[in-house]
Amino acid sequence: MTLSRKVKGISTTAIVAIIAVLVVVAGLYWYFTLPPAGPEYKDTLIWGTTDSVENTIDPSQAYDFFGWCIIQQTGLTLVEIQPGSEAGPEDFIPALATDWTVSTDMKTWTFNLRQGVKFEDETEVTADDVKYSFDRANVIQNEDSFQVNMGTFDILIDSVEVTDTYQVVFHLKVPASYFLQYVACQAFAIVNPNYAAYDAITEYAEGDARASNPNDLGRYVLTKWERVAGKDVEMWLEANPNYWDAASGWPKTNKIIIKMYTDATALRLALEAGDVDVAFRHLTSTDIEDLQDNPAVEVWEGKGAAIQYLIFQEHMSPFDDARARRALAAALDRSAVCTTVFLGQAKPLYSMIPEGMMGHTEAFKALGDANTDLTKSLLAELGYDEDNKLAVDLWYESSGHYPSSADQALFYKDAFEASGVVEVTLHSADWPSYRQNRNAEVMQVYIYGWYPDYIDPDNYAFLYFATWLHHNYIETANGQAMEALWTQAGGAPDADRPGLYAQIDDMAVQDCPVIPIFSITPYAVTNLNVEGVVMDITQSWRLWLLYATVE
Amino acid sequence: MGLRSYIATRVLLTIPMVMLLLTFVFLIVRVLPGDPVLLHFEKAASPETIELMRQRLGLDKPLLNQYFEYLAGLMHGDLGKSMQDFSPVGQQIFSAFPATLELAIYSMIIAVGLGIFLGVRSSQSYNSLQDHSIRIFGIVMYAIPIFFLGMIFQMIFGVFLHWLPTGGRIYPGMAPQGLNIGDLHISTGLYTIDSLLEGNVFKFVQALRYLFLPSLTLGLVLCGVFIRLTRSNMLETLRLDFVTAARARGLKEKTVLYGYAFRNAFLPVLTMMGLQFAVLLGGAILTESTFSWPGLGRYLVDRINFRDYTAIQGDVVFFGILIALVSLVVDVLYAYLDPRIRL
Repeated sequence: MTLSRKVKGISTTAIVAIIAVLVVVAGLYWYFTLPPAGPEYKDTLIWGTTDSVENTIDPSQAYDFFGWCIIQQTGLTLVEIQPGSEAGPEDFIPALATDWTVSTDMKTWTFNLRQGVKFEDETEVTADDVKYSFDRANVIQNEDSFQVNMGTFDILIDSVEVTDTYQVVFHLKVPASYFLQYVACQAFAIVNPNYAAYDAITEYAEGDARASNPNDLGRYVLTKWERVAGKDVEMWLEANPNYWDAASGWPKTNKIIIKMYTDATALRLALEAGDVDVAFRHLTSTDIEDLQDNPAVEVWEGKGAAIQYLIFQEHMSPFDDARARRALAAALDRSAVCTTVFLGQAKPLYSMIPEGMMGHTEAFKALGDANTDLTKSLLAELGYDEDNKLAVDLWYESSGHYPSSADQALFYKDAFEASGVVEVTLHSADWPSYRQNRNAEVMQVYIYGWYPDYIDPDNYAFLYFATWLHHNYIETANGQAMEALWTQAGGAPDADRPGLYAQIDDMAVQDCPVIPIFSITPYAVTNLNVEGVVMDITQSWRLWLLYATVE
Repeated sequence: MGLRSYIATRVLLTIPMVMLLLTFVFLIVRVLPGDPVLLHFEKAASPETIELMRQRLGLDKPLLNQYFEYLAGLMHGDLGKSMQDFSPVGQQIFSAFPATLELAIYSMIIAVGLGIFLGVRSSQSYNSLQDHSIRIFGIVMYAIPIFFLGMIFQMIFGVFLHWLPTGGRIYPGMAPQGLNIGDLHISTGLYTIDSLLEGNVFKFVQALRYLFLPSLTLGLVLCGVFIRLTRSNMLETLRLDFVTAARARGLKEKTVLYGYAFRNAFLPVLTMMGLQFAVLLGGAILTESTFSWPGLGRYLVDRINFRDYTAIQGDVVFFGILIALVSLVVDVLYAYLDPRIRL
């Protein structure tokens, strides 16, 4: 009995103790074996930019970086380019189209559409909507649009045919191996007919973002668009619940607020003051260099697709002679410009097709950099020497349309004059005057730039003989031969495209109608907690990939 | 001449002034190199397409026709359509004007308030260390470039202290809506007023936070003129007999300074306020650019880059009329306060 009580007494205490110990041990075990708490993500990111939509975000008119950027977030094209890829033929991924085929002559492209994709009002997207979007641009023929500027319906697309509720066929006038690149660009986003009249552009409607935007199939919907006097002040993008792949977790951040700043200085200050999470387009080279040393922010480097080059007016003597053009091409010192003017944020370019793209070569290296011996000998053939120097009028744009144009011009002047047989006079004009001068063909040598419409060598190689640049090389036999090679490269199904572009570059080195100088590396700067920045060769700014952990 | 006749004369004189201004602007923008038509075509465009655009912009007509059509539109309150995006210029101007006006009002309050206060203090302590310091401060403020002073403030209060925003007009999504009662909607476009009408103190504080640096920058730069003007007028007035008499009667120095001397020294300051309003609107261009303030100054710079003739004309004419109106009000006030002006 005593033993029993004792046992009972002990057991009561022991039970309590054991339970207490077990609770503590279990608690400790639970605490230490719990998977670490996942990071908490910000619901909203603020993106600061100096950009503004130029006109509208209607794919039948928009033809500017920022307009296309907004269309890319809120719209959907037939196909898309895999983020982070080289944008090669194998890098296209399904978007509205699930798959596609092309005829052997590359003139008939058939796209099968995804079923169940819905506009905001829950109506399903069908092939009729695709045809409507393409035909609409052809009816509107807006002079500012990609379609009119690129001659989409004059040169390329003959008709769009609906063959099934979910199938659409494009009949082309000419073979086009680059057609997927073409339809992947934002000019061909599929619009909601309820917000896009068949014969009129969807204009900005004050206080009504929905009525201002004909696109609603993308990862985001535009919920606010504030403009003051034709210049954007603020925009809101919020996750689109109707996006066809929303279940996969796109977009990563629910809301993006876009704030517009007047210039690079204001944007940089806003970033450093913590007013914005992301600063993208445009910070200056000096800002980027400074920010690279700032431990409080992260600088992201992208791949450059924007290029700068020199143009010679071939209607002006002596640049009607290829030797004069080659002489100046040889005198250029690309590395010095990239290092000094752009602080290493640009890369020397020896072909009009940028590095990392099919068809890129180093052809212009044949002329050398700062090769003043070649300059002297070529100009000597034309009768120029130290006593009879070649007088060159070099023009640059002065209103900021191109980066650091005045500094570039000074460098080119120095490089040409280092030969001792060239004397350069610098001239400048703001962008409207510069464009007028270009068309009037009054500039002897001028700096120009190119930002691609679609990421394909086809969209670069033509600059050697483009009529709208007014260098007039197309009037020469070689210019016409070059154009023929370009057409062959872009169209023939079995064309050796890299080989043909290399041939074009080789001809260009001989004739130098334009001289490639450098490609500009794009940069974005973010707070340290921001991730998901992808800046590939497409130059697309994919907001749906961005996310930030809560600090 | 009675006050009414004086006002009528001044109004009538305003008309030729505005006419001269708009004629001058009309001609000067067309003399500028650069063609607004070509800015619509980056690449190839046929001569027919370019001509069509020229017709659409109304630039195919003789200059005199363009001028009279513009005048006719103006008579009906139509400032024309932008040559860049084809939206009505009047609408664009009125959407940007409240931001500029709000900045101008607060800058003027700072400039006048600080300028008069320091000017009076300076005259009060004539030839002392305080007087010299205030004078040097006034000169430095007047000489300092607006964008430079603005950037200094942005660096100190925004980047280093994180106290105030460096740019923009208000925190995203906080634009006040004004007063909404049923169908009644009252909105001035001035965020500080609209936030109060909305009854939202938080938005009012936010509006002030965003307004503080730009208006302080512009106000400080302008206050230099008011310091010097107030000081010199006060020094003259303080030597007059009635001030000595007031002091002899044993009135408080503050009463003598502000109640007697300053009231007499105020008239030239009032005139200067009218003149400075024009400078302030001009200066607002730089301030608006520095602080990304979405006002008319930014609009003008932007439109010049596009050779948007109608928008530039509209903006300058609007500024001109505004300045003429302010001058008119100042002149009338002046005439009211000093009947000798009407003689």
